[in-house]
Amino acid sequence: MSSFKRDKKEEEDGGGNPFQNIEKTTVLQEARTFNETTVNPRKCTPILTKLLYLLNQGETLSVKEATDVFFAMTKLFQSRDVILRRMVYLGIKELSSIADDVIIVTSSLTKDMTGKEDLYRAAAIRALCSITDATMLQAIERYMKQAIVDRNPAVSSAALVSSLHLTKLAPDVVKRWVNEAQEAVNSDNIMVQYHALGLLYHIRKTDRLAVTKLVAKLTRMSLKSPYAVCMLIRITAKLLEEEDSGNDSPYFDFIESCLRHKSEMVVYEAAQAIVNLKRTTSRELAPAISVLQLFCGSPKPTLRFAAVRTLNQVAISHPAAVTACNLDLENLITDSNRSIATLAITTLLMKQIATFVSEISDEFKVVVVQAIRALALKFPRKHSVLMNFLSAMLRDEGGLEYKASIADTIITIIEDNPEAKETGLAHLCEFIEDCEHVSLAVRILHLLGKEGPKTKQPSRYIRFIYNRVILECPSIRAAAVYAMAQFGAACPDLLENIQVLLARCQMDSDDEVRDRATFYSNILNTQDKSLYNNYILDSLQVSIPSLERSLKEYIQGETNEPFDIKIVPLVPIPSPEEREVKHKSEGMLISQGPIRPVPVSREENFTEKLSLIPGIQELGPLFRSSEVVELTETETEYFVRCIKHCYTNHVVLQFDCLNTLSDQLLENVRVQLDPSEGYTITDEIPCPKLPFNETGTTYVILKFPENDLPNSIGTFGAVLKFIVKDCDPTTGLPDTDEGYDDEYILEDLEITLGDQIQRISKVNWGAAWEEAASSYIEMEDTYSLSSMNTLDEAVKNIIQFLGLQPAEQN
Amino acid sequence: MGLFQKLAHFLGVKKREVNVLVVGLNNSGKSTVVNKFKNEEERVAEIVPTVGFSVERFQNQNLAFTAFDMSGHGRYRDLWEHYYKDCNGIIFVIDSSDRLRLVVVKEELDLLLQHPDICNKKIPILFFANKMDSKEALSSVKIAAALGLDKIMDKPWHISASNALTGANIKNIQGIGMRRPRAGINPRTFQFCFGSSYS
Repeated sequence: MSSFKRDKKEEEDGGGNPFQNIEKTTVLQEARTFNETTVNPRKCTPILTKLLYLLNQGETLSVKEATDVFFAMTKLFQSRDVILRRMVYLGIKELSSIADDVIIVTSSLTKDMTGKEDLYRAAAIRALCSITDATMLQAIERYMKQAIVDRNPAVSSAALVSSLHLTKLAPDVVKRWVNEAQEAVNSDNIMVQYHALGLLYHIRKTDRLAVTKLVAKLTRMSLKSPYAVCMLIRITAKLLEEEDSGNDSPYFDFIESCLRHKSEMVVYEAAQAIVNLKRTTSRELAPAISVLQLFCGSPKPTLRFAAVRTLNQVAISHPAAVTACNLDLENLITDSNRSIATLAITTLLMKQIATFVSEISDEFKVVVVQAIRALALKFPRKHSVLMNFLSAMLRDEGGLEYKASIADTIITIIEDNPEAKETGLAHLCEFIEDCEHVSLAVRILHLLGKEGPKTKQPSRYIRFIYNRVILECPSIRAAAVYAMAQFGAACPDLLENIQVLLARCQMDSDDEVRDRATFYSNILNTQDKSLYNNYILDSLQVSIPSLERSLKEYIQGETNEPFDIKIVPLVPIPSPEEREVKHKSEGMLISQGPIRPVPVSREENFTEKLSLIPGIQELGPLFRSSEVVELTETETEYFVRCIKHCYTNHVVLQFDCLNTLSDQLLENVRVQLDPSEGYTITDEIPCPKLPFNETGTTYVILKFPENDLPNSIGTFGAVLKFIVKDCDPTTGLPDTDEGYDDEYILEDLEITLGDQIQRISKVNWGAAWEEAASSYIEMEDTYSLSSMNTLDEAVKNIIQFLGLQPAEQN
Repeated sequence: MGLFQKLAHFLGVKKREVNVLVVGLNNSGKSTVVNKFKNEEERVAEIVPTVGFSVERFQNQNLAFTAFDMSGHGRYRDLWEHYYKDCNGIIFVIDSSDRLRLVVVKEELDLLLQHPDICNKKIPILFFANKMDSKEALSSVKIAAALGLDKIMDKPWHISASNALTGANIKNIQGIGMRRPRAGINPRTFQFCFGSSYS
């Protein structure tokens, strides 16, 4: 009765999933009908369907269950019903990995695949390949070979694709079918040709020569199948990537010729391949771009979508090339394009998320926020929707981590997308009105101070900042004072108001706030641009831990002379994308700013080490230490590496030598240099003793050529000189006291401009540059950049060469 | 079974269907025997070793046969039992020239007869002492003695020397066909029976 009721209810639901309520045990029970003497296809087919449904829903069968049902299924081979038989094939494929002894159906399947019924053949091949193991493959090899070259395209395709799957199982056996695959490539059917090429490539892909031959042959013969051509383009593009020759190779010509193919798919594939080639120059790109541009106007949405996506990739690597398409792209934005529709759906989803976001825990919220950040970076145009959403989230309850991640996201969006800056800052301003996390508020105030002055209406932020001064705790007040000072320095028309506000702050109860207010108000009073830059706009360049150490030393010692901040090594700038200045300007180093702990830099480590060595101390503060340069191969008798330390007028070369000979003791190890013109060697510090497997260090101090920066680039010949004493490998004690002189030629050592240039982060690059021009000699030099293909590459090379870093996103 | 089908059965309009299991050691000629049962036009030209099993259908006299031609290879003999349950008869093919493996044949036959799905059923068994043309071939009587067929009391059986290549003694075996069930005996069991040992 109850089942009857349920049936009725299901009927009322109408059009529901008929398989909704099925259970594994019931279906397995029903599968016993397969064992009946006379098979009833009308009864068995739905049962098989249910079984397949269950398996595809993720239901798992035990090995025994699967084997039982599999053997019951094998009995269905006695029925001649076509639909049932094909269902059996599907069942075999599903169960082939779970049940035991599945090879039992091999003969039945081979019979079907070679039989007369075409409806069976292709499916039987697929089922057969799923049950076959490596040992059985030999037995069916003959049938597979026949099937590959079968006249029926479905059979041939099935055999080809199955072979492709079998390569995982028994690559050596499938390799023997290469002749059949070759024959299938010549097929008239588009799918067969495509699959044959796929198999052929797969068989040969480890053999470069064979692939080259294959491509050479096929590019000459025009393939009928567009799919096969697409595949061929991919193979060719891969060859091109691996090959080092230029783009004028026949492969490239082939890809380019495909741009004029009559199938749109092929044309797109070719354009995509050209775009994705690493070495493509803008000249080669042009035809591909124009094809894509054409696609942008296509009535087919898929083509438009594909074109826009590819153009998007191009825009990253070759921005100039896409400008021609800007108009088309703008048209597409108003178009009911699929990608835009997708975007709309994502943004709609965001609104949905907002309703349940309050119910999930902070950790998940952070995940959501990160997803939004990714979304915002992907779709910069949607920033307003995303921004509103974020600010709504910002106002909700939440822990520090959650809030910080939202603020982070907004900051990322602001940095990434100038259009979003104003709204983003406005949201952040609102947020700090009632932000309970001190560290977050300080961060936002700092950001406001940095970014606020660059906006169109800096004055509106000042109210928010000054509110903090009135309402918050001392550390936030101090940060607010600093932010205001930045506004004062960067916006002359606001200066007067800022001065009034700073004057009020000077009556603050907290020392730090008062100090800062007084300090900034005095600087702003001077109206001196360079002071502004040095003390307000730029942040501290030196490394904090070593500044602390130096100050401590200074206080302990004699305090007659003023503290020289120059002896403190500079902080390495974390990411090369940030700002840079070309020349080190010593006077501009000192500035006040919010400080954060930084790891100890290489320079600091070396300073400490080098200052212990007599003769190096007098040279002054260490300016820059280069990367390690290896002067020998790693596996030679003596392994020597060099680090170049630059001082104001000197360069110290540190040679780390490793003795890899167990029967030798080296003494008085030193490096003899053959310096280039202008350089003078002032001192040498040899390494007295160098036993086996130990690293010793020897130094050479050189004086730079006087006032001649361009000539300071030089190449030095270097020879390692030492006294060898033969010794017992086990004890390491020398056999005799007498040693003999020996030398070992090292690779030439280069001193480049990059060694002498330090990266310094300057907020206001333009101003600093102009200032520097007055006090330093500007150095110009032209470098040949012809070898570079892309903008990115060129910039990277220059950075590497000169040791610079790009200025302010210029 | 519906009324119409019953009627058809009674009148003999509808053909009776039976499932037979074809077993025996590898290379004894099972697939060749089954092939010979088929009509001239349906026969396969070339017989290859069966992997697993293959389903064949043929007719003899008024009966439609579905034969499960099992692989005789050692690796697959364990799989025969999956098909014991619902078979109506067994054809056991023996290579009568392979004296060496006759003990193996006996062993397999005993296993089959002792299987729970077989031992309680009165299903008929037909033995083919195949390859009778071979010089070394044993006579069907000797094989019956060697296999101890006389001890099979509860099942109708028959042994016949045969040559599956020529088809001699295969299709014309007396009694492969329909027999009217006698009163008092489960009709299903005896619809299909072999030879003179049961009449």
